[in-house]
Amino acid sequence: MEQELEKLRSEAAAELVQIQSSGQLEDFRIKYLGRNGQLSGLMKLLGQAAKEDRPRLGKLANSVRGDLEKIFTEKSAALARQHDDAEKPDLSLPGRRRVKGSLHPVSQCMEEICEIFASMGFSIAEGPDIELDHYNFEALNIPEHHPARDMHDTFYIGDSVLLRTHTSPMQARIMEQQKPPIRVIAPGKVYRCDSDITHTPMFQQVEGFLVDRNISFADLKGVLTVSLQKIFEKDLAIRFRPSFFPFTEPSAEVDIACVICGGDGCRVCKKTGWIEILGAGMIDPEVFKMVDYDPEVFSGFAFGLGVERIAMLKYGIDDIRLYYENDLRFLSQF
Amino acid sequence: MKFTRDWLQNYVDLGELTTEQLADDLTMVGLEVDSVTDLYENLSELKTGRVLTVEAHPNADTLTLCQVSLGQQTLQIVCGAPNVREGLGVVVALPGTTLPGDFTIKKSKVRGIESQGMLCSERELGLSEDHQGIMELPAEIEPGLLFIEATGLKDTQIEVDLTPNRPDCASVIGVARETAGILRKKITVPYKNTQLAPTSSSFAVEVENPELCPRYAARLIKDVSIGPSPWWLRKRLLSVGLRPINNVVDITNFVMLEYGQPLHAFDFDTLTDRKIVVRTPRPAEKTFTTLDNVERSLDEDILLICDGKEPVAIGGVMGGLYSEVTEKTVNVLLESACFNDVSIRKTARKLNLSTDASYRFERGVDPEGTIDAMERAVTLMGEIAGGTAEEGGIDVKVAHQPVVLPLRSSKSAALLGVDLSADKLAELLNSIEIPSSKEDDNTLRVQIPSFRVDLEREADLIEEIARLYGYNNIPITLPGVDLSFPEQDEERLKRNQASKIMTEAGFSEAINYSFVSSAYDDALQLDGSDARRSHVHLLNPLTEEQDVMRTSLLPGLLENVRRNLNYQQTSCYLYEIGKIFLPAGDLPLPEEPLRIAGVMTGNRNGPHPPLYFKAEETDISDARGAVETLLSEMRLNGHDANQQIQFSSAAEDTTEPFCEEGFGINLVTGNGVIGTLGKLKNDILLNLGIKRDVYYFDLDFSTLASIEPVAKTFSALPVYPSVKRDIALLVPTSIPAGNLVQTVLGSGEKLVEHCELFDVYQGDKIEAGRKSVALSITYRSATRTLTEKNVEKAHSKVVKRLTDTYGGSLREE
Repeated sequence: MEQELEKLRSEAAAELVQIQSSGQLEDFRIKYLGRNGQLSGLMKLLGQAAKEDRPRLGKLANSVRGDLEKIFTEKSAALARQHDDAEKPDLSLPGRRRVKGSLHPVSQCMEEICEIFASMGFSIAEGPDIELDHYNFEALNIPEHHPARDMHDTFYIGDSVLLRTHTSPMQARIMEQQKPPIRVIAPGKVYRCDSDITHTPMFQQVEGFLVDRNISFADLKGVLTVSLQKIFEKDLAIRFRPSFFPFTEPSAEVDIACVICGGDGCRVCKKTGWIEILGAGMIDPEVFKMVDYDPEVFSGFAFGLGVERIAMLKYGIDDIRLYYENDLRFLSQF
Repeated sequence: MKFTRDWLQNYVDLGELTTEQLADDLTMVGLEVDSVTDLYENLSELKTGRVLTVEAHPNADTLTLCQVSLGQQTLQIVCGAPNVREGLGVVVALPGTTLPGDFTIKKSKVRGIESQGMLCSERELGLSEDHQGIMELPAEIEPGLLFIEATGLKDTQIEVDLTPNRPDCASVIGVARETAGILRKKITVPYKNTQLAPTSSSFAVEVENPELCPRYAARLIKDVSIGPSPWWLRKRLLSVGLRPINNVVDITNFVMLEYGQPLHAFDFDTLTDRKIVVRTPRPAEKTFTTLDNVERSLDEDILLICDGKEPVAIGGVMGGLYSEVTEKTVNVLLESACFNDVSIRKTARKLNLSTDASYRFERGVDPEGTIDAMERAVTLMGEIAGGTAEEGGIDVKVAHQPVVLPLRSSKSAALLGVDLSADKLAELLNSIEIPSSKEDDNTLRVQIPSFRVDLEREADLIEEIARLYGYNNIPITLPGVDLSFPEQDEERLKRNQASKIMTEAGFSEAINYSFVSSAYDDALQLDGSDARRSHVHLLNPLTEEQDVMRTSLLPGLLENVRRNLNYQQTSCYLYEIGKIFLPAGDLPLPEEPLRIAGVMTGNRNGPHPPLYFKAEETDISDARGAVETLLSEMRLNGHDANQQIQFSSAAEDTTEPFCEEGFGINLVTGNGVIGTLGKLKNDILLNLGIKRDVYYFDLDFSTLASIEPVAKTFSALPVYPSVKRDIALLVPTSIPAGNLVQTVLGSGEKLVEHCELFDVYQGDKIEAGRKSVALSITYRSATRTLTEKNVEKAHSKVVKRLTDTYGGSLREE
């Protein structure tokens, strides 16, 4: 009897080691620990043992049961762990994501620019795309037969109606309505009848102007330097050079150090190391006179920047025509 | 404006200044250098040679056999030119040399005789059209040298992009003056402040319109011999891309480039009555043939230069065909004049004829430079064309009023932000020959030179100061302005909000041109009376595909769909927020309302491989869902009856003409339809080259933006639990399932909190003509926990209402 119990203990232990699945483990449980299992069978024989041996054998049988149950539980837990491993996720799979679209790169760039100026206290105003000759030209000191009209390839709608060629008409429109101090930016679409590798007939500009007492060219340099450095997110070298716009005097073109080559000279900057980025200047006294501002009292500056060009430089886009084809392979990159 | 470094050097000593530095300096004073080009790089391999002997070619009558010296070596070259002769200086292309036009010379046999190179004509060198013979070099040129160096062709061309305010720099002397200012040097010019002896007996000048022609000067040069210009003159013209013609014409062109004063040479013997009359056309004068042999229409505003009988030139623009200088010309009448800028500009535009002369006159020519330029040309005609100038000449003019402007150093300081003394201002102006005198410590009186027609106001002088001081030497400051809270444009904020919602919902933003083809009206099958057919038209569209301003965003978006599908996109969800343009009757400007539109095609789960989401075709519910998302995120489903937006299935007569029938939904408020969504008709798509179903929405964004959004207000979280009951109802298939939900919510039963459709089934388990609509209804009381009895009572009322309304029966589960 004693030997049989010990044999049972060692046999069961050996068998348990071999077990791989929970089904086998259940078979094991029934075979050894079940109500009609081998251990129960032996224990039923306990009554037949000699009276003085019973306590000892009973104790032994209980110890065998205890051991078997212990290793059974351990095995069961081990199998459960193995089972869990099989159920574990494959962490190399990509995440599950909902489809999202993207904002057009010109819009993204436009918003960044607007945000930067808004944070400096500029209001944002928009005007009509179809504009009167008066606001687009006359009020900006560009009379009908001024050679500066050659700089604007204008789409005409009628004799005195046209597609605005720049966002500058908003200077006249706003100054007509308000008195200084004024701090406004005017974003929007503008049109030129010109289409080639570097020009699309529609593009977007941001006009900005500030009118108050004691505003100087040095202030214009300050505001543009700060904002260009914010727009391009780096300490760019910036230069101002004389130019001509009928509605500003002095007028300036503003160049930034080429963001592609860092100023060493490349194809984008035509080997000059500089890229023309915007036009600006002190608002011309004639423009002030037309809106009844006294140029002896007020001064101000204005600037206009092309958003497509800035986005091209920021994102490295090399063909302006991509903007208006709305190809998802292009749009989804931004 | 083009010039060369060597040419500029004639008027100002450039010293050690590199061309690169020169270009940079000019750019920084406002003469933006567009390009710097080393000239004739393509002729750099050619050599000079001298013909030693010329013999007849043994096998060809028209060819000759030449021994040509290249200094160290002598080559045998076969030549066919009639002008080849012993002692002639020639241009030699050796084997391996590539000539303009990509023609590479090889050692070859010509009619059996070896030729070790080629003697080149001017045309072969790209220098002129002359191909009558080989190019003849000046006799003194040594053989064996590099051709472009020995002949002085080697030079650097600089092109400046002139702004319209600087006509004074449309001349090499003008550029030299600016250069001298930079270098703090003085320029030297051939003639300055020349006076004309006002006597002439052999011709007369009358100016009928002095307002259009404030000055007209002329001189007569007799007995010129017309012929090719000398090498130095042709070289100058070639170096800036001008074609040499003959000595007299070349001189007028050269002096125009040098002084900026356009000149015109008439064949004096063609002028009737030996007379020039400056006038507008007589009524009978309807056309005039210019020297480019084009007949031009005249009108009463075009200023003509006439002889005693008829027009001989269009003043300041172009000469006439019958009075131009030809090889037969003997006597030349040279014109140097000043024309009204606006008049010339109008004429040039009307005739669509822009010339080097009109370019300068319409920007403003120095009214006091007339005689200097004329005298320069007269002298050259004597030297080069052997002419003899008649003593004196005629100069009809309106006296030029010198301009004197005040310049305050205080105003300059305030406007520029840098404080410069009056003395410093005077010094800066003086560097470019603008004299001034000091009125007091603050004020200069500036005498504007006649060549600076652009300087009219103190502001113009302050710009000169800024330019000469250097824009980059002006400090950088920030304006001291009062704090203010910037105004926000509400519509713009709404637009940004909508963009955010749409991109979150899987749409990418498209931006299309505001102009489209009017052909889209037919493509979209718009009715004849459709308001979208009345467009704002462009008078000068770039192409027919962009002839009108858009009245809908859909044409652009559909074009984008076509393109994307062609590039194998499996899914294309795009939206655009943009203006449309509607003619506004008598108002000068059209209306420009904003719209938001979207197009949807292909897989609703995007273009990615379906690891987690199956590839599922977009359907009408996606389109409606997109609009619902937009409206709910913008909080636009308010309670104001006029503003509440209802989705209503479009009836036959209210469906968009491009929308497939039975697939259209109108968005309606109390004020009317504010947008539509649906499925585009297949035939329309096929005609546009799209072979996939496309759904769309198109809403009036201006109206949406004007609707007051539902305010964000807190309602207390429910205290008592809710009870849910699901029912399935069998109803006729014709009944819209959405109506059942409305019926439940509108049943008046207070305990109904919410009702949701969760299944619509039609199929073989159900009798034909019916469908099963499953609803989940939530009951809740705000004041107590509902008992089974309460719920049952409410639910049975709702069910009764449903069955009464739709004649349906509860479906057995």
